[in-house]
Amino acid sequence: MPRAVKGVFVECDPSIKSLILNIDSKSHNVIVADLDDEHLVIDERQVENVKRQLDAQLAENTFNPAELDNNPEK
Amino acid sequence: VVDQIKLWQLEMERMKTVEGYLFSDFKNGSEYDVLANYARELGVMVWENRSKGLFFVTKEGNQQIVDYYRRKIQGIK
Repeated sequence: MPRAVKGVFVECDPSIKSLILNIDSKSHNVIVADLDDEHLVIDERQVENVKRQLDAQLAENTFNPAELDNNPEK
Repeated sequence: VVDQIKLWQLEMERMKTVEGYLFSDFKNGSEYDVLANYARELGVMVWENRSKGLFFVTKEGNQQIVDYYRRKIQGIK
């Protein structure tokens, strides 16, 4: 019998995926399966937590133009 | 400005989510095909990768696939 694991499928940009991998690396309780560059399955109990942490990280980047100015690579 | 627009875009599109089930550990390619075809017919297939032997279906589709498996595959044995 094949296995069927409950979870939340996520489709996102590779840069967002790497942020999610980073969130998972702290607690190891977020990612159920890493599917490919733009897709993964995460624990349904962690969805709100992941969204909150992404919001925080993206807001940090958006509202810190000084940091971007100092980094010509960006 | 371009950087900010990019970040806003990311913010808007950053995540599309679908609740459901990830199927794995198929006995062989034909078992995968039978179930994946059925999931496609039902319109519940969200993502699939045959070479990895994985597919993801919506929450609504899961029970129908489990029932189908019991009828078709276990029934034949």
